[in-house]
Amino acid sequence: MTGLLKKILIIVVLLFTTLALYLNFILMPEYQGLKTGVSNYIIQSALRDTGSLNLITAVLYDYRAFDSLGESTVIFGAVSGIVLILSRKMLPVSSKGLSFIVKRTLGIITPFIGLFGLYVISHGHLSPGGGFQGGVILAAISIIFSIVYGSAFDYRRYSPQKKTILETGGALTFLTIGLAGLFFEGAFLHNLNFLTAEPGTLLSAGSIPYINIGVGFKVGAGLAIIFYSMIQKTFEEDY
Amino acid sequence: MLLLEFILVIFLIFSAVMAIHFEEELISIIFLSIFSLILTALYLLHKAADVALAEAVIGAGLNTAIFMSAISQIRHGDSD
Repeated sequence: MTGLLKKILIIVVLLFTTLALYLNFILMPEYQGLKTGVSNYIIQSALRDTGSLNLITAVLYDYRAFDSLGESTVIFGAVSGIVLILSRKMLPVSSKGLSFIVKRTLGIITPFIGLFGLYVISHGHLSPGGGFQGGVILAAISIIFSIVYGSAFDYRRYSPQKKTILETGGALTFLTIGLAGLFFEGAFLHNLNFLTAEPGTLLSAGSIPYINIGVGFKVGAGLAIIFYSMIQKTFEEDY
Repeated sequence: MLLLEFILVIFLIFSAVMAIHFEEELISIIFLSIFSLILTALYLLHKAADVALAEAVIGAGLNTAIFMSAISQIRHGDSD
């Protein structure tokens, strides 16, 4: 009897959902054909509008900065879900890592990898790259550490708590700049015009470099947390 | 330029077919990494430097590491 009642209830809910979706779609305006010319507009006037030499970064963090905020929220949600499912409170017991030669060589190379990541982040508005790519390069350092030195090394140097602070700090930087745009320029995530300098210098292009730095640290810390919580269970039984 | 692009596309399709052809997961991951590397070269050939950088870092670097760790967890489960 209750099974039948349940079925009827489900059918009623589905019918109402169908009705609501239908009413929603009926309100949509008709397809008016693709409007071309947006790319031409961006190529011609993005440098004047934003002051950023890299037009892709100009689109990402100025014209559609709200979309980028949504994307970084997706990464935040993914990190939260993976950490919730996979991580456990345990002391990470690591494998011994690779040989002495590999460890020394990596010790010499690592600062240059970090410098390259920071360069890609900070020059996002001047040269190819940006916050996302540079952040992944920074996360790669953490991954290399886990592989070469064993997972406990990375845990002791930069614990997941520190990485969480970095990730939250990056997200807060993004949101703070967005609110500053609302406060000074009148629109959320509007480019801060009083920060613009001559195009081509490092601290030009309004708020784009600061958003890049925030996104870079957020993405890097988030991906490092994902990788760390994935290997955490692997190495516990190796000892 | 066109010849280089042709060769790269041939190798791209070859590595994609090889990645699903082998039963062993490790070989599939290596071929997937090669696929990303060739795709990076193709993006660069079409002057999309931003996408090329993202593909090189994520496709060839991060994906390989995460897949490797996933595989090692699967093997742990099998041995029990």
